[in-house]
Amino acid sequence: MINLIAHNLAPIMFITVMAMLLLGYPVAFTLAAGGLAFFVLGVEFSSISPEITLFWPLLQSHPDRFFGGIMSNETLLAVPFFTFMGIILERSRMAEDLLDTIGQLFGPVRGGVAYAVVLVGALLGATTGVVAASVMAMGLISLPVMLRYNYDRSFATGTIAASGTLAQIVPPSLVLIVMADQLGRSVGDMYVGALYPSLMVIAAYCLYVFIVTMIRPKAAPAMPAAARTLGNGVISLFVMIAVAVALYFLGYHFLFTGLGDAWRLVAAMVFGVVIVYLVAIANDRMKLNLLSRLSQQVIIVLVPPLALIFLVLGTIFLGIATPTEGGAMGATGALVLALAKGRLDLKSLKNALDSTTKLSAFVMMILMGARVFSLTFYGINGNVWIEELLTGLPGGEYGFLIVVTIIVFILGCFLDFFEIAFIMVPLLVAPAQALGIDLIWFGIILGLNLQTSFLTPPFGFSLFYLRSVTPAGEWTDKGTGRIMQGVRTLQIYKGIIPYIVIQFLAILAVIFFPKLVTHYKDEVVTVDPDSVTIEMPSFGGSVDDPFNLDFGGGDGGASDPFAIPDFGSNPDGGSNGDSLNLDAPPSLNFN
Amino acid sequence: MKPLITISRIIDRLNEFIGHSVSWLLLVAVLVSAGNAVSRKLFSLSSNAMLELQWYLYGAVFMLAAAYALLKNEHIRIDILSSSWSKRTRDWIDLVLHIIFLVPFASMMIYLAWPWFWRSFASGEHSTNAGGLILWPAKSFILIGFILLLLQAFSEIIKRAAVLSGHLRENDALYTDAGNAAHMMTEDMPND
Repeated sequence: MINLIAHNLAPIMFITVMAMLLLGYPVAFTLAAGGLAFFVLGVEFSSISPEITLFWPLLQSHPDRFFGGIMSNETLLAVPFFTFMGIILERSRMAEDLLDTIGQLFGPVRGGVAYAVVLVGALLGATTGVVAASVMAMGLISLPVMLRYNYDRSFATGTIAASGTLAQIVPPSLVLIVMADQLGRSVGDMYVGALYPSLMVIAAYCLYVFIVTMIRPKAAPAMPAAARTLGNGVISLFVMIAVAVALYFLGYHFLFTGLGDAWRLVAAMVFGVVIVYLVAIANDRMKLNLLSRLSQQVIIVLVPPLALIFLVLGTIFLGIATPTEGGAMGATGALVLALAKGRLDLKSLKNALDSTTKLSAFVMMILMGARVFSLTFYGINGNVWIEELLTGLPGGEYGFLIVVTIIVFILGCFLDFFEIAFIMVPLLVAPAQALGIDLIWFGIILGLNLQTSFLTPPFGFSLFYLRSVTPAGEWTDKGTGRIMQGVRTLQIYKGIIPYIVIQFLAILAVIFFPKLVTHYKDEVVTVDPDSVTIEMPSFGGSVDDPFNLDFGGGDGGASDPFAIPDFGSNPDGGSNGDSLNLDAPPSLNFN
Repeated sequence: MKPLITISRIIDRLNEFIGHSVSWLLLVAVLVSAGNAVSRKLFSLSSNAMLELQWYLYGAVFMLAAAYALLKNEHIRIDILSSSWSKRTRDWIDLVLHIIFLVPFASMMIYLAWPWFWRSFASGEHSTNAGGLILWPAKSFILIGFILLLLQAFSEIIKRAAVLSGHLRENDALYTDAGNAAHMMTEDMPND
């Protein structure tokens, strides 16, 4: 009996700890306690089973593992930065402004508000990156509008719930950063890889809206003219876009020729956009009547989020900032934006900091719990067990991807993203590599998967958020004074089904056309590596080359979060493994 | 029971105070990090001390606020099953698991982190990066964080026991039911 347990300790541990998690006690401490309990068992059994390599002094590595792998991990700093940015943007009511204005812009088109929801969902995803905030904002602002103009209830709610989840997959999503960290790959590659799949999903959503307006025009009507308070006048918008483009060419070919390539592009773009923005502001303040009110509002509302997206993504891709610093720039930009709009006071700043602090604490604690778990799990050869289990599947690469898709999809229905990322993803890295799967590709598939599980009844988080802001009983519409029927939960479920189908098609497309993602290997060269390395001479190997300069890919094991500590190194001085290694290539980043 | 409840109150206040205080460091970290990128690009200035400072600050935030998050019941749980159990059952689970899960984990970390921190402190260990910061304050965050967490665990044990034995009403136990980030966002949504 004892022999049987000793030789199957890995599966027993895995199942026991998963069962313990279901008790509803905080995940972080459950993982840690499970790890410790099985550590004791493992040491006891180590004389029986040769597979177990646990001994007491191993425990002493924990403080160093927390310090070197978690605390001094630069990439994880992105978690509070992006969260803080999202909360501040929420306070500045960017979502509200965007939805109002873009809704008006597309209003005259059939299904216009639905298109607006998809596009704003994508924009919000690229800035705030928080599903809950996007879904609730859209549920509070767009849903009443859609219902007022007799949109089909299922269609309207489904579109909102689905568009809100775009935050998961559209760069610079926090999900992609954490995924990159756990997979040991560069965040920049992850963003490039996510670009086409996320655009594909957005396009597919729009296409679905278009099909619905064709087949069932009544389900998605245009806004009546009376409701379009900003009036018409799209022509001046087109004129302004043309002006911006002209200014861009002017800047690029004549004004800023003295700058380096990348900077010339940026300067020209900024030049065009800023002038157009200033014209819109002047038009507003001085009642110039150069532009229609609609175009003026569209420009005023759209430029700040686009500028923020540029501030984050642009600085990362130009090699100015690491993804973490990009998050900090975005957060600073969001603060400035909220202040400029007069929508930030001390109290809401405090609240935002408080929420971010609590989130950071629980996320980082889960990571520490996962480390305690993994030290034991790897010591009893659990990684080998998982690897054999998953690489032995029929169908090789595809068999593995499909099984993992199903597992992650099911887990995603009731586990939070961070739990999946910290517990499951590291266990999947070794089998994926053994099968020769590109880890960026794998990460994008996982990301799409998690996004889908957010949508799936009955546990999908997005549906919960939408339900929580949608009246279930009758209510009186503010705009018209009509009494409206409540929205039934089943209607939401029905509306989400087409989007789930779209998601599955997207996952299959990415699985069978890896080129959608793996083009990152060809394109990453456009970044000028010289500008990066020369200007950061003092970093050594310790920090943040924002791009993984190791284009060959390698096995990317540098930030393997579950690496067993190196016992050869001096336990006192070896606190931060990377910082000791000043001669290491820059690919040893982010850990 | 009464003196115990008083102790629990003191611990709660301490951790509430620390949690509120360290959250400001987050703002500093944001500005330091953005400043690093800007000064590197514009002035070709970069300092290892500033690069280290950003994760120093974040380390202080999440380690020292871990107990605060426990106080506010913000440590995420998987409530798929437990949400259908009675409040009393969940209280019992919390009470028992605080004792057999959290206390041993936090105690072990204190036991391990103390000599580890002390070696760094006594040797005045510096970061190996050129111009890097002194390391022991950062290491002390891990030690102090787990001490605060252990204290908060005792406070939670006292409160659960007091609620279960009828010495304390639930509302007085400062127990908020916001289980995860999702709920947190709900509270934060503007109502207008």
